[in-house]
Amino acid sequence: MSKKLKQMLAAYGLVLPSFLTVMLVVAWPILTAIKTSFTDPDTGGFTFDNYKYFFETPRELTNILFTLGIVFLTVALAIVLAYLLALYLRFVKSKVSRLIGNLYLLPRFVPSMVAVYAMITVVRDSGLLNRISQLFGGDFKPGMMYHASGLVTMNMWFNIPFAALMITAGLGAIPDSMIESARDVGASKLRVLRSMILPLSMKDVVIAATFVFMSNVGSFTTPYLMGGNYPKMLGIVLFDQFNKYLRYERAAAMSFIIFLICSVSAGVYIYTNLREKEWEK
Amino acid sequence: MAERSLKLEIRDMTKRYDNGDGVEHINLKIYEGEIVTMLGPSGCGKSTILRTIGGFLDVTDGDILIDNESIVKLPPEKRPTAMVFQSYNLWTHMTVYENLAFGLKLRKIPKDQIRADIDKHLKLVSMSGFEKKYPTQLSGGQQQRIAIARSLLLKPSVLLLDEPFSALDAKIRQQMREELKKIQAELGITVVFVTHDQEEAMALSHRIVVMNKGKFEQVGTPTEIYDNPATKYVASFIGEMNFVEKDGKTVAVRPEDVAITSEPADIQGCVRTIMVLGHYVEVNVQCGDLVVKCFVDRDQSERLNPGDPVNLKFLKTHIF
Repeated sequence: MSKKLKQMLAAYGLVLPSFLTVMLVVAWPILTAIKTSFTDPDTGGFTFDNYKYFFETPRELTNILFTLGIVFLTVALAIVLAYLLALYLRFVKSKVSRLIGNLYLLPRFVPSMVAVYAMITVVRDSGLLNRISQLFGGDFKPGMMYHASGLVTMNMWFNIPFAALMITAGLGAIPDSMIESARDVGASKLRVLRSMILPLSMKDVVIAATFVFMSNVGSFTTPYLMGGNYPKMLGIVLFDQFNKYLRYERAAAMSFIIFLICSVSAGVYIYTNLREKEWEK
Repeated sequence: MAERSLKLEIRDMTKRYDNGDGVEHINLKIYEGEIVTMLGPSGCGKSTILRTIGGFLDVTDGDILIDNESIVKLPPEKRPTAMVFQSYNLWTHMTVYENLAFGLKLRKIPKDQIRADIDKHLKLVSMSGFEKKYPTQLSGGQQQRIAIARSLLLKPSVLLLDEPFSALDAKIRQQMREELKKIQAELGITVVFVTHDQEEAMALSHRIVVMNKGKFEQVGTPTEIYDNPATKYVASFIGEMNFVEKDGKTVAVRPEDVAITSEPADIQGCVRTIMVLGHYVEVNVQCGDLVVKCFVDRDQSERLNPGDPVNLKFLKTHIF
């Protein structure tokens, strides 16, 4: 056997275990799910019906749009709030900002189930907010349970710390002298934000946004515990098809739809990460 | 310098940091067209003074005036100063041209005028043709030239330079030093320069402020400071200096002021090492526990060998 061939076999041999693992636990389930999604449950033949169901039934279409609405709102709010928090942590040097800097990641360490139940005890119509209002003679009912506002609020709890973590790292990489030299040539604070800080941190913002987007499209715990009967988040739709109606073909179609929605965001992520900007060459 | 008009005045300025460090009761007058260098080791407060002039630090007490007007309350963008930092001066997401144009655009200067100004200043710093490059595509020295051009474009009253060359390698540093001096002479701009490199300070400055632990040790021309150091600290910080204890006093003598003779003189010793440093030779002489450094010419050094007993005569001394 030639030396070259031996080296080649060794190289493939080393890659093979991980390649097989990926095939077995990632590629295989996806491919079978795709196949199932195109299968007619009665005849076992090929069909588009499983997909048609989700796009032609008004109720299911509403679920998809509802999910996209919740997710876009979550991304927009979480990124804006996280950016403000990150700006504060990066540029305000005080005891309070240091304290917040140490505390803001705490929600990441609380199990999601615990966090959702904790939030429910606060925002439900007989919860803490209601009790406090009763102390002052009122009867405030937030109406956030089984409502989009509750879902979005809960998503903030999970996603602001996460997005802020990523954006803070990006802002930390901007040297002070770059900002000071912009001030020096006459830029106001707002102008520095617009012309220096925003463009220099945009990549981290986009990446944080794609992560928040992906993790929320298929979210389950929060909509399961706080969401209403209708419209439903896609995670619940999938769960119902699989567990309640035992429609495995539709469940497969739904998971592929969720996968496709996520892959748009994954594409943005990969594009942002790989795109070598002219100024980074 | 007295006939020149006063450009920058620091009046009894104090800046104290939260940890108690800082500078106190700083008084300094800088005249039009001068290069004044703040020289001292790191942590001596030289950058603190520069940053209070630029507006990046608030003063605790006192006043700073440019052209007889107090600037101490103004934010950096309203001050008639321009600052060049040690590094990361340029905005990496903008081309050289955009970097240079940014400040001018903020001042709403017409486009043609901006282009003409930038062309002129790129020529001044020998960087014509680099307009479309991004900062990361330039060397450190080129980046600092652009940074200097960017500051000069805004026609500042006072140009502030915070160790602008210390991140560059030795050869480029010397070249930049020479170019800065040329540009300054051409434009007649007032410059405050901060460095910890005494050679750089000597080479560039009209006047040097030697600083130590937040205080001025001496203010004077390079020659004054070299020839007549006011304190032992200045004597040791600027140039080479031998310190010899004699009759309870410290005698300071520069290596070029020590003559090696065979006749009885100030101090006796044995030649320890002889090192040729180009056109002159460094001879180290062991005198008891002390090593005295002498600079002699090549001819004389050829008659010396390590171990030779010699007498040293101090031609010019300072007593502290």
